[in-house]
Amino acid sequence: MTTPPIVELYGVTKSFGAFTVLNDIDLKIADGEILTLLGPSGCGKTTLMRIVAGFEQSTHGRVLLRGVDVSNQPPERRPVNMVFQRYALFPHLDVFDNVAFGLRLKKKSKSEIKKTVTHMLELVQLGEYANRWITELSGGQAQRVALARALVNEPSVLLLDEPLAALDLKIRHHMLAELKRIHVETGTTFIYVTHDQDEATILSDRIVLMNKGAIEQIGTPEEMYARPQSLFCAKFLGETNILSGSVISAEGDTTYVDIGAGAAKVAMNGVPVGSQVSLAVRPEAIRLDKVREVAGKENFNFVDGVIQDVVFMGSRVVYNIRTPINLIKYQETRPVHGISLERGDEVRASWAADAAVLLTH
Amino acid sequence: MAADAVDRKKIVGAALAAPTFLFLLVFFLIPTGLLFVYSFWLAKSFALIPALSLDNYTRALSSWGFYALTLSGLKNGFWTAAFSVVLSFPAAYYIVYRTRGNLLFYIILVSWFSSYLVRIYAWRVILGSNGLINTTLIQLGLISQPLEILLFSPFATILTLVHIMLPFTLLLLVSSLRDVKAEYIEAAKDLGASQFEVFRKVILPMSYKGLVGAFMFTFVLAAGDYVTPQFLGGRDGMTTGIMISNQFRSSGNWPFGAAMAFLLLATFLVVYFLFVQLLNLLKLAPGRRFHD
Ligand SMILES: Nc1ncnc2c1ncn2[C@@H]1O[C@H](COP(=O)(O)OP(=O)(O)OP(=O)(O)O)[C@@H](O)[C@H]1O
Ligand SMILES: [Mg+2]
Repeated sequence: MTTPPIVELYGVTKSFGAFTVLNDIDLKIADGEILTLLGPSGCGKTTLMRIVAGFEQSTHGRVLLRGVDVSNQPPERRPVNMVFQRYALFPHLDVFDNVAFGLRLKKKSKSEIKKTVTHMLELVQLGEYANRWITELSGGQAQRVALARALVNEPSVLLLDEPLAALDLKIRHHMLAELKRIHVETGTTFIYVTHDQDEATILSDRIVLMNKGAIEQIGTPEEMYARPQSLFCAKFLGETNILSGSVISAEGDTTYVDIGAGAAKVAMNGVPVGSQVSLAVRPEAIRLDKVREVAGKENFNFVDGVIQDVVFMGSRVVYNIRTPINLIKYQETRPVHGISLERGDEVRASWAADAAVLLTH
Repeated sequence: MAADAVDRKKIVGAALAAPTFLFLLVFFLIPTGLLFVYSFWLAKSFALIPALSLDNYTRALSSWGFYALTLSGLKNGFWTAAFSVVLSFPAAYYIVYRTRGNLLFYIILVSWFSSYLVRIYAWRVILGSNGLINTTLIQLGLISQPLEILLFSPFATILTLVHIMLPFTLLLLVSSLRDVKAEYIEAAKDLGASQFEVFRKVILPMSYKGLVGAFMFTFVLAAGDYVTPQFLGGRDGMTTGIMISNQFRSSGNWPFGAAMAFLLLATFLVVYFLFVQLLNLLKLAPGRRFHD
């Protein structure tokens, strides 16, 4: 990060009575990035966002915006704006007046308001809808108005709390693309809350994975997917095969793990012999062969089993393989000439030593 | 099959509405209709003579007394409604946005359980020459003679009416504020609105209907009330309501009472209409565009 961070959180902790919802959160957000807060329901995403917006006071810790401590500033004085989950558009005002709400409070001139609001409505592709009442909008349109109403104030940071949760899948994907376009055009920093990993990976520059009020891992979507640092992260982002076992030996940069169906080799060091560990292998990193064709070839990183079912998912095919230790998922792009493996085949699932991630917790 | 389902829905809907409808028909619409018919009849020494005459209406409308009494009733209604709304709004706000439970709300509603007359007598005791206020003021040496103005005055009537109406007004205001969900208030603050701007630009317009409704209901109930002004209003506290009740109870001139009752009803409708027009004129009603 060369530019100074636009949002800094230091030791942010929030308790409701005896119940701690956020525990010692440290986070720096770069100017202009899209940062996603991802995590299961109830992990504290909304609460963290509301602390940044000023609707909740943290029990401990500090919030800095552009280097200024705003911990004690009320929401109306903070240079951030929020898109609410259920939009909270004012039903007594039409689209134009909703978007103009913030500008009027700042006592902008009539002509300037007209110009800015019109421009903003065009940005969200609602130029024709200025005179519509809020009750006359579709979900996707209401969503855009909410976005315009927040962005028109040129906030330092735009907070979006599950803004697409109320929309159906098709519109959601369309709106994700729109959000990206609007982000590029405005250059505003986005903090985006979701519990949908697809949304997070499609949209984000960085993902903050939260669990039970603490940050589990921070990284780009690619890093999070390829190098999860915990079982929780490996399971939360995408599908993965988890093989548990214990470390039997370590040689240089290679660790050997007994996974119950032979030994696995992992490119990793520093884990003491005897530790209980998990191996995470992505379905697409698995290689599948018929047992009789490869028998006796390998010594490490495989498990034999029987194909239990074959699932077509459009461009992909997923195989579920029953093995003595676990149900293994294998995935490939659908071969043009049809598939050669079918239900009941005895197969060997194998993987490269650097395709598995060793997890100690 | 679909048509069957629709039919059944209609039947069930009608069945659910029927008891209320019947009740209103038997105990409200029919008596009101009869009263309306009576208002064109004539009365001679306690006997009712069927007729189709406007005499009762002209008699009321040509007497200055009728206007004066109606005006004093409307005044009672206006001040009661104004004080009730102004006093219960902050309480309603507190109940809706600051408390999680409804304890305070129930406590205020419980005051409704005490009898109407008991409360009127309680105020007589408090406001009377030997009442709480006068004796306290005399003991403090602030006055030497009891203040007669406290009791038997429009002041006493309005004070008591406010006390009686307040829980009712509060009930209406609380339910209208419940529509203004906290997230609208947060959205306004998020966009930079101060506490006052939130109130003026969001809470007021969004709860407008409920506010006007609460004001008008309280107004009509208080303006038409004939018990409180009779007990506490004194000589100047006479209202049309009292006069109407006298026609039915002592004078036995039902037609004249009925005619005045309908004139009062018409007055309320006109007042309501003028009130709403005034709010529109002052641009206080929502549903307006602020841009061209
Ligand atoms: N005002 C409050 N009082 C008490 N507990 C609260 C309050 N607000 C939130 N919580 C609790 O804090 C925890 C975190 O809530 P939060 O709304 O931040 O979760 P979230 O991550 O946004 O979940 P979701 O994905 O379901 O929206 C929850 O267990 C919730 O019950
Ligand atoms: Mg949430």
